Amino acid sequence: MRDMTVDPVLPSTSVTARLQRHPIRALAWLFFALALLFALVAGLKGDVFFFRLATEALIFGGLSLSVDLLLGRTGLLPLGQALFFGFGAYVSALVLKHGLPSFWLAMAVVLVTTTLVGLLAGVIAIRAKGVYFALISFGLAQVVSKAVFNTRELGASDGIIGVPVPQISFGLFSVDAASPAGFFLLVLIFIGILYGLLAYLMETPFGHQLAAIRTNEHRVPFLGVDPWRYKLVAFVLAANVAGLSGALYPMLRGFVSPELMFFQVSGNAIINVIVGGTGTLIGALYGSAVLTVLRSVIGTFTAHHQLVIGVIFMISVIFFPRGMIGYVVAALERRKETAP
Amino acid sequence: MSAIHQVPTSVPADAILSVSDITVRFGSLVAVDGVSFQAQRGHITSVIGPNGAGKSTLFNLISGAIEPSAGRVIFDGQDLTGLPPNRMLAAGLARSFQITNLFFELPVRENLRLAAQFLEHGRGLLRPVGSSRVALQRVDELVERFRLEHKLNELAGFLSHGEQRRLEIAVALAARPRMLLLDEPTQGMSHADTQETGEMIRGLAAESLSILLVEHDVDLVMSLSDHVVVMHQGGKLAEGTPQQVRGNPAVQSAYFGDAFHA
Amino acid sequence: MAEMLEWLQFVLAPQVINGASIGVAVVLMALGLTIIFGLLDVINMAHGEFYAIGAYAAVALLGLGLPFWWTLGLTPLLMAVVGYVTERTLIQRVFHSKERHTLTLLLTFGLAIILEDALKIVFGANPLRLESPITGASEVMGLFFPNYRLFVMALGSLVIAFVWLVVFRTRLGAMVRAAAYDRYMAASLGVPVAVVYAGTFAFGVALAGLAGVLLAPIYSVFPTMGRDFVLIAFSVVIIGGMGSIKGAVIAGLVLTQIQSISSLYISPVWSDPLLFGIMVLVLIWRPQGLFGRLGHA
Repeated sequence: MRDMTVDPVLPSTSVTARLQRHPIRALAWLFFALALLFALVAGLKGDVFFFRLATEALIFGGLSLSVDLLLGRTGLLPLGQALFFGFGAYVSALVLKHGLPSFWLAMAVVLVTTTLVGLLAGVIAIRAKGVYFALISFGLAQVVSKAVFNTRELGASDGIIGVPVPQISFGLFSVDAASPAGFFLLVLIFIGILYGLLAYLMETPFGHQLAAIRTNEHRVPFLGVDPWRYKLVAFVLAANVAGLSGALYPMLRGFVSPELMFFQVSGNAIINVIVGGTGTLIGALYGSAVLTVLRSVIGTFTAHHQLVIGVIFMISVIFFPRGMIGYVVAALERRKETAP
Repeated sequence: MSAIHQVPTSVPADAILSVSDITVRFGSLVAVDGVSFQAQRGHITSVIGPNGAGKSTLFNLISGAIEPSAGRVIFDGQDLTGLPPNRMLAAGLARSFQITNLFFELPVRENLRLAAQFLEHGRGLLRPVGSSRVALQRVDELVERFRLEHKLNELAGFLSHGEQRRLEIAVALAARPRMLLLDEPTQGMSHADTQETGEMIRGLAAESLSILLVEHDVDLVMSLSDHVVVMHQGGKLAEGTPQQVRGNPAVQSAYFGDAFHA
Repeated sequence: MAEMLEWLQFVLAPQVINGASIGVAVVLMALGLTIIFGLLDVINMAHGEFYAIGAYAAVALLGLGLPFWWTLGLTPLLMAVVGYVTERTLIQRVFHSKERHTLTLLLTFGLAIILEDALKIVFGANPLRLESPITGASEVMGLFFPNYRLFVMALGSLVIAFVWLVVFRTRLGAMVRAAAYDRYMAASLGVPVAVVYAGTFAFGVALAGLAGVLLAPIYSVFPTMGRDFVLIAFSVVIIGGMGSIKGAVIAGLVLTQIQSISSLYISPVWSDPLLFGIMVLVLIWRPQGLFGRLGHA
C-alpha cells in the first residue's frame, strides 16, 4: 500500500469533500451573517473608519478567493496574483475617470479586458508546472508592476488619483459609493456572489476535475480529459475574480497606485488563504478579515506589522497547516462523532 | 453479473489494433525496435518478455503516453500514432497502470465517477455532480462488478493492494472502451487474487472487449491468451498461440538464457 | 574601421566590464540557489534576503571599524551559520512531506517577509551608501576602469572556480553529488546526509551573502534590495537549468552581458523585463533549462 500521508497544508480534496457537506456551508453563512451584524452595529454608530476598513478587507478577500481557487483547488501557486487585481483596479480607475463614472461600465470593461489578459498570461504560465508556474506568476507581476511604475501616462509612482466616486444604480434605487455603509453592503453582496459562484462551480464535474488535476494530474488524460484546458479556464476565472475585486478598490479609495500589483499584495493574499484554510474558499474571506483587522491593530503600535504577520504565517504553515477553517471543521466533526 | 459490454457477437474477427514497425528511441538507446503485430477484435492478446524487453515502453506508446520515433499505431481503422492519451480514450482505447496510479486522496466512488464522467461527453459540466445520471449509473455498475460496495467512501490510498488493483482496472473500464490495455494487472497480487483477476479478464473478453495484456506471470498468460507476442531486447522475438510460443526454442532461450544450456 | 574600434573601445568595452562585474555577483547568487535546489530540492525564496543580510552585515562590520578584507572573509562565514541554522530548524520540518516544493517555497517566503521587515527595524528603511573599499582606477586598453569592479570580477571568478572545483573535483563534492542523485543510497554508503544537507544550504546562503558584500559598494544597500535581485537570480537559474552549476555560470554571465549591452539601446527600466522575457521563452521552449541537474548532469 502506498505511503499515504495526506498532506495537511493543501488538504486532500476528499477531506474537503467531507467538509463540504455541512460545516463549511454553515461557516460561510456565518461569515455573511457576522458581516451583516457588523454593518448594523457600525451603521448605528455612524462609523466611517471601520466600514472602510471592512470594505477593504472584503475587496482583498476577493483577491484571496482567486488565490484559493488556484492554490487550494487547482494546485497552482500564484505568487503574482496581484497583477490581475491591480490591473482591474487601474482599468476601473481609467474608465471611471476618463470614461463614464459608471459602476456597470467599469465592471464590464474590467471583465472583458481581464479575460483577455488572463488568457494571454494563462497560455504562457499554464505550460509550466509547480514551482515554475509560481515563478512565472511572480515574474509577470514584478515586470508589469515595474512597467506601470515607470509609465508616466499611468501616473508613474503616484498612480491615478482623483477617481470620481460613482453612483451604483439599480434602476429603482442607487447606492452611493461614497456612503460607507452602503458601499460596504454592496461589496459584501458582490463578494458574496463571487464566493457563491466559485463554491457552486466546485460542486460541478468541472470543479471535481480540477480537484483530480490537483491530486494526480498524470492520470487525468487517461480518463479522457485534457488538463491544460481546465487549468486555463481556472486561471482565467481566477484572473477575473481578482480583477473584478480590484475594480472595486478605486471606488473605495479614490485612487490606484502601482503598489496594488506589488509582491506584498500577492503575498498577503497567499497568507490570507493559508491562515484561513487552503481549499475551503470561505477560509480566504475569513483570513482576509482577520488579518486585515490584525494588520490595522498592530499598525497602531508599530510600522512593522509585516513581521508579525510573517511569524503568524510561518506558525500556521508548520503547526496549523489546515488553517482556521480547517481546524474548526475538524473540531466540529470530532464533536459530531462523539455525540450520543 | 451485469454485462459490461454489449457488442454484437457476429463481429467479424479482424484486427482492432495494428502496430506496425514501431520504433522508440531515447537518445541513443533503442527501447523498441521495429515491432509489428496485430491484436484481433474480441481476443486477449498478450505481450510477454524478460525484463528490459521493451514491453512497458511499447505499452506507453500504444496508450499515448509517449510518441514513437517511427511506425504507426492503427486502432479500429483510425491512425492514432503519437496522439495524447485523452484522444486515445476518445477513440476507445483505455489502459490500466502497472504502478497503481489512482487518485489516492479521493474516495473510491469519486475515482470511478471521474472516470465515468467521460460517458457524459461534456454534458452537465457546469451542473451539480449529482445530475450526471449516466456517469453515476456507470459507477453503480462498476461498483457491483468489482465488489467495491463496502469501500465506496474509503480513500483510494487506504485500500488493500488487491483492492487497489481491482479499482485500477475498474477505472480503466469506466469509459466503456472497445479495447483495454492491462499493464501487469496482477503485479504484487496473491495467488488467489491472481486467479480471480484472470477470471475477470476472461469475463471481459467474453463480452467482446478486446484486451492487450502485458504480464510477467507466464502461466496466467498462457492460460488466458488467444495470441501471444514475445518481446526481447526491444524487438519482437516470436508470436503465435500459447502452445506455439511455449514450444519455441528461441523464446525459451530468451527467458532462461543460454547459460541454462551450458 | 577606426570608428568601429573606437566604438568597441569606448562604448562596448566599459559595458562589458560593468556587466561582467555584476554578472559575477549574479552568478554567485545563482550558484547558491541552484545548488540548494539541485541537492535539497528546496526553493529558497529567502535567498534574496540572505543577499541583503550579507550587504547589511558588511555595513555593520565596517561600521564597527573592521577592515574591509576582514569583512569580506567574515560575512560569508556568518551567513553560513545563518544558513545552517535555517536548514536545521525550518527546512527539515517540512522536508519529508510530499508537497516539499510548495511547503519550502511558502516557508522561505514567510521567512523572507520576516527578514525584510527585521532589516527595516534594525537598519531603518533608508538606503545606505557604502564607500568603495578599493579606490582609484586602472588603465586597461586605453580606458579607465574602477579598481573595485576589477577586483569584484577577479575575486568572483576565483570563487566560482573554487566552487566548481569543490563540487566536481573533491571528495566532499562527490558526496554532495551522490546525495543529490540518490539520498538513500548515499546514506547507506556512509555519507552523513543530514550534515551534508545543512552544510550545502549553508554554503548556498554564504554565496548569497558574499554577493551582497561584493555588490554593496556598487549599489546602495536598502531593505528591499533582496526582492528585486532574487528575480534575476531565479531567472538565471531557470534559464541555466535548476540544479545545474554550469548553467548558472553560463546563463548568469551571458544574461548580464545582454542586459548590460542592451542598456546602450533601450531604457534601463526594460532590462529586467528583457531578462524575464528570455526566461519565459526558455520555459516555453525548454522547461528544464539549458543544462542538466546537479548529480544528474
